Amino acid sequence: MKKILFAISLFLIYNLANAQDLVKKIPSNAFAVATIKGDNVFKLMFVKDFNESFLGKKLLTETSKSLDKEFTSIEDFGINLNKNMYYFNQLNDSITYNCFLIPLKDATKFEGLINNKNEKIRTVNGIKTIVLPDSTSIVKWNENTLYFVTGSIRSTFFADSAKSAKYGIKDIRYQNNYDVLTDSATILTDTTYITTTEPAVEDVAVPVVKEKVQKKASIKKSGKKKALNKKTAVKPKKNKKAAKIKAVEAEEASAMDELADGVAMAVDTASVDDQYDIYQKERAEQDAKKKQLAFVWMSAQADKIFNSEYESITNNKSYVSSLDDKAIAELWVSSLQDAYNSIAPEFGTYGKAGIMKGYGSLNAKLFMDKTSFRISTGLELAQEQADSYKKIMNRKLNKNFLKYVNSEKAIGFTSYSIDTKAYLEEFPKLLKQTYGSILGGKMDEEIDLGTDLFTLLLDEEAVSNVIKGDALLVVNGLTTKDVTYTTYDYDDDYNRKEVTKTKKETLPDFLFMFSSEDNRLINKLIKYGINKNYVSVDQNIYKIEEKKSPIDIYFMIKDGIVFFGNSLTEMQNIGNNQYKASISKEHKNLLSKNNFTMLFNSKNMVGKIPDDEMGGKENAEKLNSTLSKMGNLYIKSNPIKGNVVSGEISAEIPNGHENALKYLFSLIENATK
Amino acid sequence: MNLKKFYTYFLLIALTSFLSSCFQVIEEITMKNDGTGDVVLTINLSQSKTKVASVMLLDSIQGYKVPSKAKIQQELNEAVAYLKKSEGISNVKSTSDFNNYIATISFSFKDVSNINNITKNILAQQKIKANNSSTYSYNKLTKTFSRKYQATGTAKTEFNKLKNQDKAVFNTATYTSIYRFESTVTNTSNPASNISKSKKAVMLKSSIMDLINGKVNVSNQIQLSK
Repeated sequence: MKKILFAISLFLIYNLANAQDLVKKIPSNAFAVATIKGDNVFKLMFVKDFNESFLGKKLLTETSKSLDKEFTSIEDFGINLNKNMYYFNQLNDSITYNCFLIPLKDATKFEGLINNKNEKIRTVNGIKTIVLPDSTSIVKWNENTLYFVTGSIRSTFFADSAKSAKYGIKDIRYQNNYDVLTDSATILTDTTYITTTEPAVEDVAVPVVKEKVQKKASIKKSGKKKALNKKTAVKPKKNKKAAKIKAVEAEEASAMDELADGVAMAVDTASVDDQYDIYQKERAEQDAKKKQLAFVWMSAQADKIFNSEYESITNNKSYVSSLDDKAIAELWVSSLQDAYNSIAPEFGTYGKAGIMKGYGSLNAKLFMDKTSFRISTGLELAQEQADSYKKIMNRKLNKNFLKYVNSEKAIGFTSYSIDTKAYLEEFPKLLKQTYGSILGGKMDEEIDLGTDLFTLLLDEEAVSNVIKGDALLVVNGLTTKDVTYTTYDYDDDYNRKEVTKTKKETLPDFLFMFSSEDNRLINKLIKYGINKNYVSVDQNIYKIEEKKSPIDIYFMIKDGIVFFGNSLTEMQNIGNNQYKASISKEHKNLLSKNNFTMLFNSKNMVGKIPDDEMGGKENAEKLNSTLSKMGNLYIKSNPIKGNVVSGEISAEIPNGHENALKYLFSLIENATK
Repeated sequence: MNLKKFYTYFLLIALTSFLSSCFQVIEEITMKNDGTGDVVLTINLSQSKTKVASVMLLDSIQGYKVPSKAKIQQELNEAVAYLKKSEGISNVKSTSDFNNYIATISFSFKDVSNINNITKNILAQQKIKANNSSTYSYNKLTKTFSRKYQATGTAKTEFNKLKNQDKAVFNTATYTSIYRFESTVTNTSNPASNISKSKKAVMLKSSIMDLINGKVNVSNQIQLSK
């Protein structure tokens, strides 16, 4: 029984704790959510330390100055720094909301930030509201939650006259004088107005009037069917009227011809100016209406956040699975495909193309801990796409490559491994998926034909035997070599004499390798190269005879690996199985477990470059000290999990710093000194 | 793999890590007592030939277009053609060595003042705005040779606009001027200049950085024995 009670109370506590997290207030249909995890941030750095940091001081003094109050700690803002702060974006076809949910610890402290005493704070049921000047944003808060929303009407929505009419909003477009001049009918109406001395205002109203006439006509048309008799009586009258108008128009047209063109032009420009003023005025009116509408919608949205129950984002599987307790900041976008489609109408013609088809939610997380900064990103794919990628990524780096990485010396490496055969097979599909939609349905047959041709012409199997799809580039260190150069000596008369001197030059030792099972094609190429004197050979080591190249490049084929490198000794060692290298466990893991990797180990560069190549001793010392402090930097792609492709970039922080966040602050501090 | 791409990829790694290079600019003027003389201008990039050769393989580096060998040769030829048309200038020659990256232009003048506007105009032709006012004069009566150089702020401001990594290119670059005479030199006004053992030549060496920053002045008034 005790146990059950304990369990229940635990459950309640859990629920309570959960309820307090503002994530529950984010609607399940939020389009994007960004989180800053206060507790994780301030675990790395005490509030006191933040207050004393450059950024903290700047924030506090600036706020103190602008509000004419004394702030000594960011806690004075009344924000609960141990809880998560959220930003989310909600959008539909007519409005986009940008919203912030911030936990409050002390609402009165927060109220102290509201500078302008003239701002009207309305209080309803303990919820306080202020509307920011010009009504573009609303701030609402109670004892523990602050909510800020700003909304913007989407112009594309009101471009649709049917939709905008519903809200009494017109789509105002400016007619410039070119339209007036080219459209002879409009010129005629212009003159009509001038002769009847009607105000030019009517000019703008023309399209509306026309519309009305058309509407009337169509009503009459439909009415015609119902009451034919009545209509026939009316009809002749109408015709007469029309005839009259035509006659008037004709008269005026001839009168126009007689008038000097200049007069007509002058009249036109005058009315254009007026037109423009009217256009501006009308547009301002419509904008005001839109703003008003946005405000009504925003208010309703803000009320909903505070006062009603709704399904929260915590029920969204994609969002929940993107979370990581240890992250200090997170970003989640519900769907790249939807994101694209939502902004697509603004791109015009190409808008309908589903370039992002098949790309689902995107997430990014920032981690900072005792040793490093890390950003990881993930992208959800549609099943079909994920399957394609899985096939393509289904290859591990050739294990034999690892024999040629010397972790103690290596400055960096980069590797990739894909299945060439799968890539060539999947490529047409991916191509069709992406570009098929751009070209629209019209090109479907052609695309099909093209992809079939591609498959027919290429023997994927054969290609994949020549280039398996994995490669590794290692910079295993630096070598210094003597280089001769020309300079001058001067005799007693300062006559110059050309002399040749030598200097040391540092070049990275690189080794590039890729797997190849079928060497016939490569051998043919080599043979061709030798015949044409592009390539020379000595004991199975080939040298590229490229005179322009400042470095020698050698290559060889051994055990199904094609090697390229700039050191003859290294090549010889590989050939004689005497290559000495030992790879660290970390590097081994990094290379063998991921499809794409990149690593830079700056420490291995310290002191390897002669001072004079770095522009003097002073520069060299500076650079060396920076390099020695930097840790490993690496990028890697993770294997596909479910439908999610992901990758991460990580930078180790130098020794002597408590954690990455503090290191970041110290960097900022140094930069401002 | 496309070999050029491969080179590019590799060289970029090499270049971005060690970007500082040496080059020499040498200006030699041999004056005769009658006021005529010869000029040899030399640009020597030999010390950085590995880097230059690497850069030449690229289309552009750090946002700058890399000129081809043909383009460089063409511009050199244009400079020669321009000189040939200039007043008081004769015997114009140029050499270019694309193995060591050394280029020279030499010519003779009737009067040293003939060369005053040449550099400026050549640079202007290449659309390089050069405002440095550098004038040479030789007074046959007093036997004084003078070079007046006025460092202007433009060079410095233009230079400061460059990115730091691009500035590094100039770190170890040097500018040397050598003036040779038939008579012996009795006095020079610029303390940084050296007189040769034979007393018939004056040399001034400075770093291009100092020149750009206005830290050194290459003005000099040279008095010859009468």
